[in-house]
Amino acid sequence: MADEVVFEYLHMEMISYLYRTAEKIEQDHCISKLESLGFRVGQSLSERFTKDSSRFKDELDTMKFICKDFWNSVYKKQVDNLRTNHQGVYVLQDNKFRFLTQISSGKQYMDAAPKYLAFPCGMIRGALSNLGINCVVTAEVSAMPACKFQIQIQRL
Amino acid sequence: MTVYNFYIFDRNGTCLHYAEWNRRKQSGMDREEEYKLMYGMIHSIKSFVNRISPTDLKDGFLNFRTSQYKLHFYETPSGMKLIMNTDLSVGNIKDVLHQMYSNIFVEYVVRNPMCALDQPIKSELFESKMDDFVRGLSFFPLRVT
Repeated sequence: MADEVVFEYLHMEMISYLYRTAEKIEQDHCISKLESLGFRVGQSLSERFTKDSSRFKDELDTMKFICKDFWNSVYKKQVDNLRTNHQGVYVLQDNKFRFLTQISSGKQYMDAAPKYLAFPCGMIRGALSNLGINCVVTAEVSAMPACKFQIQIQRL
Repeated sequence: MTVYNFYIFDRNGTCLHYAEWNRRKQSGMDREEEYKLMYGMIHSIKSFVNRISPTDLKDGFLNFRTSQYKLHFYETPSGMKLIMNTDLSVGNIKDVLHQMYSNIFVEYVVRNPMCALDQPIKSELFESKMDDFVRGLSFFPLRVT
């Protein structure tokens, strides 16, 4: 179990370090910094996790990979619900998101939620971009520890 | 059988958490004062017990009892002190206090980035987990006579 906790503590420290060292004005930057860190990590991870699997048939197949293998490897569980409108919008719902389970089980500390979701968002975006899908990933929390990631695919 | 109250102190004597259940008589002083008094007494007993022991102690101070209640004490290697007051019929609850520390404190305070480690705990999740745990203990219910 200790090995999972290492990632968690590092993630916590990364956030607190960024916010501690940032000036008041650039606090908004922190989110995008975290997101781009996540992007790079996601890129490498998707490379690593797909090294033994065959090519994905279509977009949905890729999303299923994210929900199952990717989530399992990073968060030790699968996404609870995957929904799509078949027009390039996917919603991944995790009812017990790992980074939020210890923080609260309701509305307390709600304002802190975005900081803890920027890195995961970037990670999803990075993984997908390496699999040939350009997208925008946003996260939404209505009550912790449940969390929804919305993936909007950008078609050129 | 019943549980009266429960304290967590950190290494520096800050009271991180306090909860009470069936405490019918209050100490009649400020809570903060009471924490200080409690911590001071525990500190003294600990050093007293270690000094007066005729042989090398393995566990050190574990509990004391009066005619009305029993105080259980558990300390982690990092200096966290967990103190629970129960009535006299409760036996050794070292493992219960250890569980509270490892399954609830470590899980919901140490792993929660919103909790500073040297401040009183404000997390509602932690408080509700603690409360549920204590209410679920086999020796929690007041015996109906």
